Amino acid sequence: MAAHKEKVRAFIIDNFMFGSADGLTDETSFLDEGIIDSTGILELVDFLEQEFGIQIEDEELVPENLDSITNVHTFIENKLSA
Amino acid sequence: MTKFAPRLTARLIHQFLESSAALHPEQIAVVHQGEAVSYRELNWRSNRFAHWLIDNGIAPGDRVPFIMENGIDYVTVYYGILKAGAVAVPLSTDLKPASLRPLLEELAPSAFVATSRFERLLKATDYPWPLLVIGNPKLAWQALSVQVAALDEIVRTPSSESDTPKLDLDANRLASIIYTSGSTGKPKGVMLSHRNIVDNANAICDYLELTARDIQMAVLPFFYVMGKSLLNTHVAAGGRVVINNKFAYPAAVVQEMATAEVTGFSGVPSTYAYLLHRSPLAKYRDRLPALRYCSQAGGHMSAHIKQELLRILPSHTRLFIMYGATEAAARLTYLPPEHIRVKMESIGIAIPGVTMKVLDKQGNNLPTGQVGEIVGAGSNIMMGYWKNPEATAKALDAHGYHTGDIGYCDAEGFFYLVGRRDNQLKIKGHRINPQEVEDALAASGLVIESVVLGIPDDLQSYRLAALAVPRSECCHQQKIRHLLSEMLPTYKIPHEIKFCRNLPMNANGKIDRQKCLAIMTANPKQL
Repeated sequence: MAAHKEKVRAFIIDNFMFGSADGLTDETSFLDEGIIDSTGILELVDFLEQEFGIQIEDEELVPENLDSITNVHTFIENKLSA
Repeated sequence: MTKFAPRLTARLIHQFLESSAALHPEQIAVVHQGEAVSYRELNWRSNRFAHWLIDNGIAPGDRVPFIMENGIDYVTVYYGILKAGAVAVPLSTDLKPASLRPLLEELAPSAFVATSRFERLLKATDYPWPLLVIGNPKLAWQALSVQVAALDEIVRTPSSESDTPKLDLDANRLASIIYTSGSTGKPKGVMLSHRNIVDNANAICDYLELTARDIQMAVLPFFYVMGKSLLNTHVAAGGRVVINNKFAYPAAVVQEMATAEVTGFSGVPSTYAYLLHRSPLAKYRDRLPALRYCSQAGGHMSAHIKQELLRILPSHTRLFIMYGATEAAARLTYLPPEHIRVKMESIGIAIPGVTMKVLDKQGNNLPTGQVGEIVGAGSNIMMGYWKNPEATAKALDAHGYHTGDIGYCDAEGFFYLVGRRDNQLKIKGHRINPQEVEDALAASGLVIESVVLGIPDDLQSYRLAALAVPRSECCHQQKIRHLLSEMLPTYKIPHEIKFCRNLPMNANGKIDRQKCLAIMTANPKQL
């Protein structure tokens, strides 16, 4: 759902980019662009679990699931439809 | 020399690479994101870079700073600078223009190397740049009359044989300057000679029993002295370094530890705190048959974390607790793993070639069990601080290097730290060691890491406070204080606990207590 993606984007912008979306695309790597660090990933995971009522396993903390808006969106949609 | 690995004798740091290229030319030296480079190829690339520097007027003794994230190019550039006889100055990748400029002014570099990611940082730094080498330069530098070369073109294409430059270099000459932030003041450039680093690397290879079969996973930046030591020791042994810069995704690191069949993993205390907090390490217990050891340095790690690691790691994986300083070219002591359960809080014994002492303020040796300053001596101790004779005179004397750490030695020769000379707090008449309170916070299970500080109050005294990274958002300071009250007397319980996303680190990967104090005392609206 597009609304889910927008919630993720808003969380990233508000919490890690001081409210400015400058240069953030759906494909931007959070790590390569220095947007999120170790603790930021944990905050993102907490947010996703609470906001979408999902449980994220430790094994799922990989860039393929979490390192861009598109990756996060695909990941949560798969979780929600599972 | 070593008991274990068939190594050729190296006098100079880059001879580690040359020896391994001669002994194991086809062996993979470094792996990063699917790219692997053999010892022969790595040596050729470094030689090409060294020749290029020499051809462009870089002379022995010239400073060549470089700002690069861990990667194959980092390794090429580091050994290339050394092969040209120049001084390798690795810089923190967290530097901003305002902190980079003063370093450039005191270094007066002849060339500067950066990966593409830092091109904008260089452009934003107002400095009369010397020769610049950038991974793959994209910005317009011509208008500034700066000579810019592409690192990719110099070292990567075409791949061809290249000999080591013929230079007569003495082992006692300056090889590297590594910046370290003390508890106060501006960063100090630790001057290390080839001998300092070569002797320390050989001693570490011996006690870790490193061989050409060892594969290290490097998640720590090479610009830390510990990261650089991981690199030099594995290149010395002819082993392999697998670089993973994605520690923010711990599962990806643990997965690669298994698939790359790493034999060694190294971290600072926060590395292990995060691995234990949220990674599948415990579930990988049976999938890490090659993992021979884990090592930890870079500050005190609480007994709680050590016990958790011993419980979770595979039974064949040994845990090495190590202690050192940038000023010691990395390492001073290590705790042989067979002693960890009975001497869990010890930093161990002196590494081969190092002598450790506990001295009183007058410089007298203190007997067993008495607390004083820890002082180390050996051929690994730095030459001094770059252009800072006052700081050098304070740190070095006839006894060796004064670490600023307070500790004692037990009857069996094992050393223990009780805190930093600068960090001891006196609050309402009680002497408080912040480390003890930080350990209790870790044992509460509610925080990932913390720092305990004394905050000046209106009564010209101090109150105890803690800055902590909570395990979850719904962590309340009352709950933590309640748990602490079961472990500590009331006067050791922080008056205030403030939460933050992460603790600020200094250039050597240690917690920056001055910045923590600034966060603790800042107006909440400014955060």
